[in-house]
Amino acid sequence: MTNLNPSVVREKFIESVQKSKILAKRCNDCSTIRIATVLYCENCHGRKYKLIEYPGIGYVNTFTIHTVPPEGFEDVDGYAWVVFTLDDVSIRASGFLPGIKKPADLPIGSKVKVNGFDVKHGLVLKKL
Amino acid sequence: MENVCILGAGSTKYGKLNESIIEIALSASVDAIESAGISPNDIKAGYISNVFGVADKQVHIAPVIMSNLGISHVPGLTIESACGSGSVMFREAFANIRAGFYDCVLALGVEKITHTGTTQSTTLFSYCSDFFYEGGNGASFPGLFASIARAYMTKYKADEEDLAHVAVKNHENGLLNPKAHMRKKITVEDVLNSPVVASPLKLLDCCPFSDGASALILCNEDFAKKSGKPYIQVIGSGRGGSPAAVQGRKDITTIPGTVIAANQAYQMAGISPKDVDFAEVHDCFTIAEIIDVEDLGFFKKGKAAREIRDGATSRKGKIPINPSGGLKSKGHPIGATGIGQIVEVFEQFSGQAGERTIKDAEIALTHNFGATGASAAVHIFKKVN
Repeated sequence: MTNLNPSVVREKFIESVQKSKILAKRCNDCSTIRIATVLYCENCHGRKYKLIEYPGIGYVNTFTIHTVPPEGFEDVDGYAWVVFTLDDVSIRASGFLPGIKKPADLPIGSKVKVNGFDVKHGLVLKKL
Repeated sequence: MENVCILGAGSTKYGKLNESIIEIALSASVDAIESAGISPNDIKAGYISNVFGVADKQVHIAPVIMSNLGISHVPGLTIESACGSGSVMFREAFANIRAGFYDCVLALGVEKITHTGTTQSTTLFSYCSDFFYEGGNGASFPGLFASIARAYMTKYKADEEDLAHVAVKNHENGLLNPKAHMRKKITVEDVLNSPVVASPLKLLDCCPFSDGASALILCNEDFAKKSGKPYIQVIGSGRGGSPAAVQGRKDITTIPGTVIAANQAYQMAGISPKDVDFAEVHDCFTIAEIIDVEDLGFFKKGKAAREIRDGATSRKGKIPINPSGGLKSKGHPIGATGIGQIVEVFEQFSGQAGERTIKDAEIALTHNFGATGASAAVHIFKKVN
């Protein structure tokens, strides 16, 4: 594929998240894999790619729990913002993980799963 | 290529200011013009950095500033690069003098944000992130740096007390700066006992939201010499970028844009980190200063926390960091911060820094970035005797 339309790419990424998957691109020229919303290959800058959906399961690299959340998140009773690496490929994503009230609830390395896309809270995660 | 000099500097106090964004911007500009001993008519272009002018009902700031300085015919340019706006703008002013387009320009940074309140400010700042992955998923700026802090603490076995030592040191320096926002001595216990904002960062790990403006007069060396006024020289300039989203970085405990910018600036100046006598670095949160001083080459990766605890970055340490008080104590009016750092260098090198003067300093470095380091700039300065 060579479609670089950013709106189409983001729409497809969200569709994958709604199926609990993460959409990635594999470069046709150098096989580097990147998260789908990056349009050109970060390694060789090629524009041709193959779309691949990976299971949205991974492990926590780092996270935070907000006491002072930004607008739109004030009504959530405890959540973590999480950076995680997928189990099946070495790419990272980040998302909103509700129900986390203290750091001990989410040790580094904990397993998480993509659990849909919410208009208000973005990419939603679930702790496994 | 022209040698680039700084002939004058001015700054408002940083903090909660009652004047409008234009009033504080003009105040700093007048201070810089008077400091340089020039006429507004000597200014051939105006470079202005600002992020949230819309919050004080003023965008398209540059021509408004030029008009109110009585030089409406002079071209102005407003530049936004989140918290790194000032240094990114400085680079453009520097490049235009160096290339010979102008012999004298105004570089002015300004921000007016405190009237919006904490929730709105936090929300506005979150728009500086890669919103699709960060702000839109609930990450505030303290939250983004908190996640970086947790990654650093996990990788290098650092702890919350290590972070607190950065805040304590910068508040000690800020006490000596009459223009600092937070002039208050604090202890490690104060930091550790302050409320959690985004774990593991606490309130006293975070810089304040500040209003303020800082301004510089840049010129070529001929112009500086003819003025008969004291000046300093810009000997290195570097710009770098990083993945805008934290998730896109191979190593969350380093900021690639800083490393790129620093390498460029060191190369242009023909020096190495050991030649730097002091530095003003981007300590928006305590963890940022720890990572900065490693990325700038002052300490090996993973070693800065220990060095800071041992006093290596205090005013009398081997590499004094943030003698002004840094963003943490002096304050962080985000459009002005990068210029305010250079104002500190000018004051240090021109005998105006009072008790916070770094003795015998001749080479200084400034480092400033936007967001979590997506845009970064490093500049190096030399005292001219």
